[in-house]
Amino acid sequence: MDRMKILLVDDEHEFVTTLAERLELRNMNVSIAIDGEAALGFVENDPPQVVVLDVMMPGLSGLEVLEKIKAMDSKIQVILLTGHGATKDGIRGMQLGAFDYLIKPIDIDELIEKLNEAVKSMG
Amino acid sequence: MNHFKRKEVAFFGKITAGITHEIKNVLAIIQESSGLMEDILDITENGTFPHKEKFIKSLNRIRGQIQRGIDVTSRLNRFAHSSDHCPASLDLNEITEQMVLLASRFARLKNVVLESSPSDPSLIIKSDPVSLEMALFESIEILLNIIGSGGKITLSPRKIQNKCVLGIGYENTVLPEEDFLAKISSTERWASLQEIMAYLGGTAKVFGLAPEILLYLPESIDD
Repeated sequence: MDRMKILLVDDEHEFVTTLAERLELRNMNVSIAIDGEAALGFVENDPPQVVVLDVMMPGLSGLEVLEKIKAMDSKIQVILLTGHGATKDGIRGMQLGAFDYLIKPIDIDELIEKLNEAVKSMG
Repeated sequence: MNHFKRKEVAFFGKITAGITHEIKNVLAIIQESSGLMEDILDITENGTFPHKEKFIKSLNRIRGQIQRGIDVTSRLNRFAHSSDHCPASLDLNEITEQMVLLASRFARLKNVVLESSPSDPSLIIKSDPVSLEMALFESIEILLNIIGSGGKITLSPRKIQNKCVLGIGYENTVLPEEDFLAKISSTERWASLQEIMAYLGGTAKVFGLAPEILLYLPESIDD
């Protein structure tokens, strides 16, 4: 079976690198980006199956990045990471085409479940 | 609340909400780092990692404290967002549950259990969230200051004679109404509570024996 290809996008470098290591230990192919511009570069040159995208980032916001990703390739699934008290961002994101959203700090098992569901939904 | 005070509260809320996001990011990093340690331990062959059990026990303790930190910052975040909209549509069940979480520590210092007893159906009013939270907190503090140690304070939204009421009752003693009123009306906090309730367009009364403070609230602060 092919390894799941994930792109993690979050401006918290320590968070994103540690989470990437944990997903790699679960046999996933993980790339990381620490801002929206870098994420869009990945999507253009080496498209992932699923993007895990923080909503609150300096520069392009997560929701802006989501819209651009969907315009570039609507098949790529996006899971948003929102803060507590920002569920309206998650709901807005789903209206813009996000697969789902999770509230930070996340539970790794819940994330993996969502990643599997997202990939399955791609057919 | 005057315009300047409202701006002050909004400023305080915005800064606090921002800081809680920062704290949550820190907690997220600690959580992932300890999670990674657990992952590595899981793939380590048995017998090759000295003191593995002690390590796992320590990681479990870290996990428990991270969850505690997340709960506390989530409460603080929700509280900080209270000032986002005023007036706002408020579910009295939600606001009492929120206050139980926020004020439990103050009650615990007097060995008092703080709990809410939700109404069915929920009562929704249009009011000033920060001032309503202040009124609830003042009521809890009044009770904590006049009672001894131990017992239980219950926050119970309900309708009395078709009016929305928040009851803050203490269950550990019986107190004649005159004694209860005499005890609390001499406190500065009672005057402060009256002031807040007047701003909210409501009144604060006492009900003896239980004893209980009753906050009568209009359905809309504009009424």
